[in-house]
Amino acid sequence: MWYPIFKFEIAYRIRRADTYIFFLFLFLFSIAGVEFIFQGADLGGIKKNSPIVIAKTMGAITGIFMILASMIMGVSVLRDFEYEIESLMFVNPIKKKDYLIGRFLGSFTVLLFVFSGVFFGMILGEFMPWYHPEDLVPFNVFNYLKSFLIVILPILFFGAALFFVTGALSKKLVVVYTQGIIFFVIFMLTKAITNDTIQALLDPFSLTTLSLATESWSTLEKTTQSIPMIGILLYNKLFWVALGILVLGYGYKKFNFNVVQTKRFKKKHKLTLKPEITNNDVAIPNVEKQYDLKSKWKQLKHFSGFYFLSICKQPSFWAIVICGMIIILINSVNLGTVYGVDSYPVTYFIVEELQETSMYFFIIILVFYSGELIWKERGAKLNLIYDATPMSNFIQLAGKFIGLNLIYMLLMLALILSGIIFQTANGYYTYEFQVYFYGFFLEILPFLTLYTFIAFFVQVMANHKFIGIILVIIFFISTILLSAFGFDHELYLFGGSTLGSYSDMNGYGHFLKPYLLIKSYWLCFGITLLIVASLFSVRGTETNVIKRLKMSKHRISKSLLTFGSSVVSVFIILGSFIFYNTNILNEYWTNSKATDFRVAYENTLKQFEYLPQPKIVDVNLKVELYPSTRDYTAEGYYILKNKTNQAINAIHIQKQIEANVTLDAINFEGGAKENTSYNVFDYHIYELTTALLPGDSITMNFKQTFTTEGFESGQSNSNIVANGTFFNNNNFPTIGYNRKYELSGNERSDYNLPERSNKANREDINELVNARSGSDSDGINFEMIIGTDIDQTAIVPGDLLKQWTENNRSYFHYKSNIPMMNFYAMVSGRYEVKTDKWLSTSNAKPVDLEIHYHKGHVYNIERMMASMKASLTYYSENFSPYQYNHLRIMEFPRYAKFAQSYPGTVPFSESIGFVLDINDKTDVDIAFYITAHEIAHQWFGMQVEAANVKGQHFILETMSQYAALMVLKQNYSEDKVNQFLEFQKETYKKSQQKEAIEEPSLALVEHQDYVYYAKGAITMYEFQKVIGEENVNRALRRFLEDWNTNHGKLKTKIDRYATSKDLLHYFREVTPEDKHYLIAQLFETVTEVEND
Amino acid sequence: MELIIDNLSKTYSNGIKALQNISLEIPTGMFGLLGPNGAGKSTFMRTLATLQEADNGTVFLGKIDVLQQKNELRQVLGYLPQQFGLYPKISAEFLLNHFAVLKGISNKNQRKELVDALLHKTNLYEVRTQKLSGFSGGMKQRFGIAQALLNNPKLLIVDEPTAGLDPVERNRFYNILSELGEQTVVILSTHIVDDVKELCTNMAIINKGRVSLKGNPLQLIDNLKNKVYQKTISKLELEDYKQNYQVISEKLFLGKPTIHILSDTNPRDGFVLVNAELEDVYFSQIFGNQSNLKSIA
Repeated sequence: MWYPIFKFEIAYRIRRADTYIFFLFLFLFSIAGVEFIFQGADLGGIKKNSPIVIAKTMGAITGIFMILASMIMGVSVLRDFEYEIESLMFVNPIKKKDYLIGRFLGSFTVLLFVFSGVFFGMILGEFMPWYHPEDLVPFNVFNYLKSFLIVILPILFFGAALFFVTGALSKKLVVVYTQGIIFFVIFMLTKAITNDTIQALLDPFSLTTLSLATESWSTLEKTTQSIPMIGILLYNKLFWVALGILVLGYGYKKFNFNVVQTKRFKKKHKLTLKPEITNNDVAIPNVEKQYDLKSKWKQLKHFSGFYFLSICKQPSFWAIVICGMIIILINSVNLGTVYGVDSYPVTYFIVEELQETSMYFFIIILVFYSGELIWKERGAKLNLIYDATPMSNFIQLAGKFIGLNLIYMLLMLALILSGIIFQTANGYYTYEFQVYFYGFFLEILPFLTLYTFIAFFVQVMANHKFIGIILVIIFFISTILLSAFGFDHELYLFGGSTLGSYSDMNGYGHFLKPYLLIKSYWLCFGITLLIVASLFSVRGTETNVIKRLKMSKHRISKSLLTFGSSVVSVFIILGSFIFYNTNILNEYWTNSKATDFRVAYENTLKQFEYLPQPKIVDVNLKVELYPSTRDYTAEGYYILKNKTNQAINAIHIQKQIEANVTLDAINFEGGAKENTSYNVFDYHIYELTTALLPGDSITMNFKQTFTTEGFESGQSNSNIVANGTFFNNNNFPTIGYNRKYELSGNERSDYNLPERSNKANREDINELVNARSGSDSDGINFEMIIGTDIDQTAIVPGDLLKQWTENNRSYFHYKSNIPMMNFYAMVSGRYEVKTDKWLSTSNAKPVDLEIHYHKGHVYNIERMMASMKASLTYYSENFSPYQYNHLRIMEFPRYAKFAQSYPGTVPFSESIGFVLDINDKTDVDIAFYITAHEIAHQWFGMQVEAANVKGQHFILETMSQYAALMVLKQNYSEDKVNQFLEFQKETYKKSQQKEAIEEPSLALVEHQDYVYYAKGAITMYEFQKVIGEENVNRALRRFLEDWNTNHGKLKTKIDRYATSKDLLHYFREVTPEDKHYLIAQLFETVTEVEND
Repeated sequence: MELIIDNLSKTYSNGIKALQNISLEIPTGMFGLLGPNGAGKSTFMRTLATLQEADNGTVFLGKIDVLQQKNELRQVLGYLPQQFGLYPKISAEFLLNHFAVLKGISNKNQRKELVDALLHKTNLYEVRTQKLSGFSGGMKQRFGIAQALLNNPKLLIVDEPTAGLDPVERNRFYNILSELGEQTVVILSTHIVDDVKELCTNMAIINKGRVSLKGNPLQLIDNLKNKVYQKTISKLELEDYKQNYQVISEKLFLGKPTIHILSDTNPRDGFVLVNAELEDVYFSQIFGNQSNLKSIA
């Protein structure tokens, strides 16, 4: 008997447009599915159509669009109640079993049809022109079929069961809409589970399950093997199917076929009135009716409150609020983690966490409640009463709009509250309400507000709730895709870009003003949309689009016209102002223009790459920093020396390619004529009047100006900022061809550029003489006077000779006591400073220790200071004496997340050590460790430089890791060292699995940080355990002695830098003959790190 | 003030001619609009209530051009649609206040006073704080009229307000309507003939989109004086009678068909002259043939 019901359900759905629209939507989305799901993710060597990628994409798409399942399944039974024909249905001689089974199977069949769009779409996607053949493995339809059956089908069944039952039992459309969120909550909750197996078992979309199931697979296996239908994946699927059956069973039991109506009646107690009361004597008072602006304003306020309250009354909204709060409390357990150590629950971390996890909730509210609000009167069948009143369409629409925005704000306040609860629970009481406020009301709210305009406009125009919802989602996705393809100018990418990061040091800095301007511009656009929507909105019974178009012109009231045209005027004015800033004061380059430029740069100038050029041997500059206006000038000279054995006739100068940098007043001692052929590339050739003979030097004077004019499109430069400026000499003129301007990655083949390796071979004669890519110096004498705002401290390498104020500015004169590498950073900020002194055992002269930090960031200063002392002691005793008279750490804003060593100076990001919440019982002292690592670079990097070939980072980074590890070992228990190494092992494993190209050995490592950092630390620890710490140190001591850049016994006799081969030679010297195999095994071959 | 409808026409996109050249002059007071289901009553009412566009014709309420100056009309319009719902989770008082704001009653105190008065008037005051989901059909209809009266309308349109109400509720509803002052044009559409007779001073019958009859109910009844005859027959005879007489209605009386026919002269043959009722007027328009129409006009 169920069959006719099944057939009816299918026949009904076949005639409905939304069935096809949903299918088409999934189909079209899935074509770009892999790109969308994996955008920005590094797939490593795994191909775009590998079974695992297909499976994960299918899982993710199903997850995102589970809401479609609820729209299809949820309305199946509910429909009878919506159309109020349930009594007609249920009096028929059909059994409850047949009715439910027929309906369920019918809708489920339709659901499968709709989701087959994913299957077909993804297959078609494989043949899209944006893939290179090398991205793909040969087409295999079974990969898609298997993923569809294994990944999609079971969870679709569960979803179908759940949504079918909730729809049938609740009989409320709004429950149907919002139940997709239940799924998301489940998903998020599984994400918070720390046990991998349980998480994988419970993940409804099998994303973590698939990761776990293929954890031990190599890249090749992941590329070719089909997904394993055994073990965890099988259990995962069985679990969800079983749960689905349970839900169905429960629904079957609870669904009441006969007494649906009685049950409904029970709920409302009947209202009774005293029978006859004559009310004839009630006089209806005469009241004033007002239709002026003031009354419209009152109406607007009233509407806003009314619609706000109407959403507040929905349990689904409170479900969202509570879920949002709970998820965040679960999720924000790990904040700003560095090497496994969490940061203090500083407000901006909390805010970022809240923003990230709540976005989905906000979007759900936006998409669904905008539909709800637009359809509210029609849903309640009250529209004709509304429409016959003299209210203005615009006021009503604007009221709904404001009401929804108030809802966002309410959720935001709830989230802020949960954030504060979290901080309090963790014993952190510096709440920084303004950061909370900005994070939500400044960063998130404008985004939501603007998209709400779109959602309202679309809902009004489409005049069909489901189609409207789908169109809004399509709009979201297309905006994301548009910007992914590089069409991201603020003036046409809807809503403009996001606000830059908040930093304790620099606040929102210079990002804020353009952000607000651009948001205002889009706000005007949005209001215009709202006005247009109000003119087209359905009033009365006319829904035909053309009729509505015709009617719209009668709807424009005078006041609305005035308002509209002033909004449009402001829109145009703001737009022009933004255009003036982004495209006239600054240059705007699209991605393709930038790419073309890089290609042309390489094609034109590559010929000069290894052209003999003089080296910079002396730098003497006066730098004037103007942090408040974000400008600087650098004026002074380089001394260039011809170290080749041939005369040099022309000097090639590369100015930094950036529109707001100008290089003027460049001149050479003895005179030179400028060849302007390559000025397009800011590449200037100076033909010297008299050739520079071998061994001769020449002075090059120049003045460089960096001027910030207005603002740019997108995120602008975050180096030169109001507080916490940090930029290095790569911004100053360099000599010769610059490899960094070349196009990199897969794109090269599209432009017929030859493949390029990340690092030259260890025997490459051109690069053996370079310590850095395109190096234009082998070491310099350095002197700099740097001026900055009066309340800031400016720090560069060298001894501070003098400090004074002049013209209400602070000046600092630095000079290096010994030659140093041509690598220096200029740092300026409003700093607190912690000073100390370190006395070496051998050298009587004390070294000045300084930590320049942002006020309040005192948490780990003592640890860093302790590390400075311990490191200097260990390294100078075991390797060689420390070369400078000072060692400074300077905090910089968290626009970048690293610490970096320069001669005697270590700029250190706000986010990696200063706010870590280190618990001595459970955590490794990472602030101590990172400091030790950076100080080790004063030896490995500053004292000895390595040739710019494979294995370079083995010398620089791995040895620094080793050195820091030894300091850690000396100062902390073995447990801590093991804990640290364990963490390194995990890092190594994780990255290794993602890696596309084959893992190199340490001796030939290129840019694989998991090798030179993580594996390096593990391997060196192993090595010293076998041959002894003292022996390793002896080898390093000898290595430093021979290869010191300035006075190395070997280095001064040989015209090249050290390589890993040289270093391993010293290792062999200290290793007993019978252990030599170990060196080959650890450093020269790729050996798996063992888990012990 | 008078509502003057001239030559109003509307054809739907599917070809149905909902209104065909309707011309009516409706004075203040109650005006009844009779017609069978699907005759175009609701289309007509919605057009008057600015909710639907007409293809041709003009409608004026005093100086207000109803079809063009929609907002001006809405300021003096009260409208109770044939079918409407209520937000379930809010109270009558809250929703009535909400509508009062929509209708431009900005002063909070005045609004409160007005809402209270209307709740009293419609006998809903006691349940004003209850959720609307608990309202019965009659209460809902009374709420509907309270809402329509908020702005002291000059034109009140009520579309089949008593459909589905029990007789007590129906009376209660009409009591409220009948109290409205003489200043208001009240258009009441219904297919219950007695409603019109009891309440309306003027009426029109609409059938198939046309006005087939208009006038004062008593006058119209008077036109049929001495023309309506009744006879109780057996079921088998019905077709014969339909052939030979102008049968305007047939209904069962104690299980046997009783027919009314229209005739200028006494047909004898067992027919009895009866007092014409408004129902006879109505049925004569709906089921009588053209020749009969002429004879009445």
